[in-house]
Amino acid sequence: MTWINMLSPLQWALLLAIPPAILSLYFLKLKRQEALVPSTMLWKRAIEDLHVNSIWQKLRKNLLLYLQLLFLGLLILACIRPGWSGTNRVGERRIYIIDHSASMQATDTKPSRLDIAREKALRLIQDAGSNDSAMVISTSDRASVEQGFTNNRSLLEKAIQRIEPTTQLTEVSEAFRVAAGLANPGRLSFEDNVDIQVADAVPATVYFFSDGAVGELNEAEFGQLKIEYVPIGNIETQNAGIVGFAIQRPESKEAQAKQGAISAFARMVQYGSDPVECTASLYLDNTLIDAQKVKLPPGEETGIQFDLEGVDSGALKLELDHPDALALDNVAYAAIRPDRQVNILLITSGNNALETALGTQRIGQIANVQVEPRSYLASPEYQAAASDAKYDLIIYDSCSPEKMPAASTLFIGGMPPADIQPRLPESLADKPTEESPPDQWSFGEPSGPVIIMDVNRSHPISQYLEMASVGIVEARVIKPPAAGTVLMLSDAGPIFSISPRGAFQDAVLGFDIVRPSESGFEMNSDWGIKRSFPVFVFAAVEHLAGGVTEASAPTVQPGMPMPLLLSNRFKTYKVIDPKGRSETIDRGADGRFLYTKTDELGVYEVRAEGLEEPVERFCVNLFSNRESNLKVGLELQTGAESIAATSNTLRARQELWRWLLLLALGLLMLEWIVFNRRIFI
Amino acid sequence: MAQSSSVQSTFGPSSTGQTLLTPEMMAKLERMELVSRKIFRGRMKGERRSKRKGQSVEFADFRNYVAGDDLRFIDWNLFARLDRLYLKIFLEEEDLHVYTLVDDSLSMDFGTPTKFLTAKRIAAALGYIGLCRGDRVSVSTFSKAASPLVVRGRASSHRLIGQLQGSECQSSTPSMEESVRRFCLKNTGKGIVILITDLMNKTGYEAALKMLVAREMDIYLIHILSPEELQPKLTGDLKLMDAEDSDMREVSISSSLLQRYRLTLDAFIESARSFCNRRSIAYVSVRSDQEIDPLLNEYLRTRGLVR
Repeated sequence: MTWINMLSPLQWALLLAIPPAILSLYFLKLKRQEALVPSTMLWKRAIEDLHVNSIWQKLRKNLLLYLQLLFLGLLILACIRPGWSGTNRVGERRIYIIDHSASMQATDTKPSRLDIAREKALRLIQDAGSNDSAMVISTSDRASVEQGFTNNRSLLEKAIQRIEPTTQLTEVSEAFRVAAGLANPGRLSFEDNVDIQVADAVPATVYFFSDGAVGELNEAEFGQLKIEYVPIGNIETQNAGIVGFAIQRPESKEAQAKQGAISAFARMVQYGSDPVECTASLYLDNTLIDAQKVKLPPGEETGIQFDLEGVDSGALKLELDHPDALALDNVAYAAIRPDRQVNILLITSGNNALETALGTQRIGQIANVQVEPRSYLASPEYQAAASDAKYDLIIYDSCSPEKMPAASTLFIGGMPPADIQPRLPESLADKPTEESPPDQWSFGEPSGPVIIMDVNRSHPISQYLEMASVGIVEARVIKPPAAGTVLMLSDAGPIFSISPRGAFQDAVLGFDIVRPSESGFEMNSDWGIKRSFPVFVFAAVEHLAGGVTEASAPTVQPGMPMPLLLSNRFKTYKVIDPKGRSETIDRGADGRFLYTKTDELGVYEVRAEGLEEPVERFCVNLFSNRESNLKVGLELQTGAESIAATSNTLRARQELWRWLLLLALGLLMLEWIVFNRRIFI
Repeated sequence: MAQSSSVQSTFGPSSTGQTLLTPEMMAKLERMELVSRKIFRGRMKGERRSKRKGQSVEFADFRNYVAGDDLRFIDWNLFARLDRLYLKIFLEEEDLHVYTLVDDSLSMDFGTPTKFLTAKRIAAALGYIGLCRGDRVSVSTFSKAASPLVVRGRASSHRLIGQLQGSECQSSTPSMEESVRRFCLKNTGKGIVILITDLMNKTGYEAALKMLVAREMDIYLIHILSPEELQPKLTGDLKLMDAEDSDMREVSISSSLLQRYRLTLDAFIESARSFCNRRSIAYVSVRSDQEIDPLLNEYLRTRGLVR
């Protein structure tokens, strides 16, 4: 039994003065009505028998007094809010972190783990003392502060109620970092280096409501936080889930000969101790096309394969008809990418290495490559094609057009024409200032030899390139405009850069592979015979032209961003999510399309304006061992230490004061009855 | 009532001015007779048998003749048979002394009708019976115990009733013991003493009664109580004021207190009754609201006071 003081010392003094006041009222003589009797002789004897003259005897049998004192006692008791299962938490700071990742949707504890977590958090909020302040953070793969520090309980309760289940994974360290940062703001620095201590560091208690599928935490992130881990869910919850689902076009030529031959693979795991037998049903565009019986031994991964024919495009859905605690991972999605070939024009006066690299089978699957000599640049066909956006990518090998085409371009050794410069808004163009960073391409003079110092590993074109052994005779420095990105850095400066130009992207390589010379051709670089060259060409085709290589649409986990390789012909695309909601995406600053609203499981379609068929599909699947494994972790690993679960039966304070007040009311009524009986005997 | 008007009026108005005996009642009373359980010597010739031997028609005894005896009482038939002189003695019939002592303390001035009125009616009725039977009737209140009204003969009945009618409860009434002591000093004769009182005397009634017993009187104690005393209708927190000595008692009336009061009252009545029984005092309990006619004709008759 614990108590929460709700009164100030002055209020206490007033309250405690009431019982003596009541007692003194009983000691004081009542204003009695006088009544004349023949003789008080008999009354005196009767009174003496009752001993009512003695004060204590008088009090002893005065039921009214007892009722009044009892009533007051109950009121006082209610004022100190008796309760149990709580500790004294005056002025405490609390942070409620509620995990609402996919695994919290499990229904092993009814109605769901998230509901239980919310309920427990609400009870703790009710339990909190009036001086306690608390904040609410929800966490899945990202943390969001639902409610900042406040001691307004209704705000906290509303924040808790607001937390909705998500399909996302668990990444809790961000939540702890946020909690630690917000709990102890520490110092606030202003620009003029004035350091102000904004708050004393107050230890805060974090109540972390989760099923423990959070991986390892870094203890250093906790700061001064005291972590109370409240595990949610049953310890041994069984769950069968799909952890992988992909489709692939068969490699063999025989199989390829079949129209629309495709293989679908799925991996499933039964987490738990009992084997499971169930049916895996495969749907194509919501029509059942195949089903298999699956036996899932406990704790092991099982793979199944569906061989399908006549499937050209569409969305596949695999469903396990096994009712278990988590329904999210019983469904997996895959999509066959739309058969889409990009058009590539290569203008070269002869470059074996480049032509060979473009002639590989994989590029052949995704692109039609047209090779033309330099003279083609002057032809009317080229002019028409360049302005009609017929090609997705035009590669200028040691040459350059007179004006930039309506297509993405890759210049190898050549100098782009002057109009490659992005068109500045007129207002800016009129007033060029020297201070502003160059917002245009700048090309240096050829020099050499150059050594490549660094390759941009974060860009899809250059990420897999190994350039250390590449020798270059002569190269020119290519500086991209502000919006551009340097992909290769040599000792002389950047020699390979990429920059967006409206809907398109231009990549300019500052050196030739081969260049014409008096004796025909001469090697300017040995890159063409290096292994990284076809990788580069493929990456360039894939990225610049938006070529699609895989039959299987890419899949991401919920909440993860989806980078899209899309044709440069369109400035914007629409992404339609599984619920039919449409979202327009624009090309990002780096020229890529990135879709981030991947919260729904299912197949997403990317559509371009004016095209009936979707240009791309991608899927969002849970595919997470951690989320599918519903076993509740009883401790959180933080480096060498581990945080044990707070008692699983962490109970909020059971408050008594309402009952006490109710009892006091009942007493008041009883007192009224007694008083009336006494008057009207 | 002598008390202030703010005092709760629980009991009835004063009894003066009310007719004590109606003519019908008096007619009935004429046929009745006071019963004395003892034979007393009277003062005058009367209708009652006396201890004194005298000249009635009732033979009492023989005795030897001694010189000087009245020769008229010699039984000559016996002399003729035995040749000896015997004197015939006859019972004397004399008057009976009926003393009525009415308590006129303020406590008697309560009840509807008041105890004092009922007491006066009883005294008047018994006195009238006595007058009709030629008894010597003496009536006095406690405050005038030393100077009673003594009347004889029916013709004096108006004096008796007038005396009673004119008496009121006195605040200066001496205690019962004092009153009886004065009465005894004044009245040396013997006879019936009818004591009409509520016994509400804080100094006790035992001494007074013992004094009367010592005088070998035939004592009748008429204990008169009002219904308000027997079943008090009091509620709430009260300050009870004694009518006689203004003694204050604070009470909070509760059912248990009332229960206790009734027990106390019963014990009080019972102790008075047993005290009287042990001393051959006829104890008669009367409620002040009892009708006087049935009270005399039935109640007192069955209790042997009248016949």
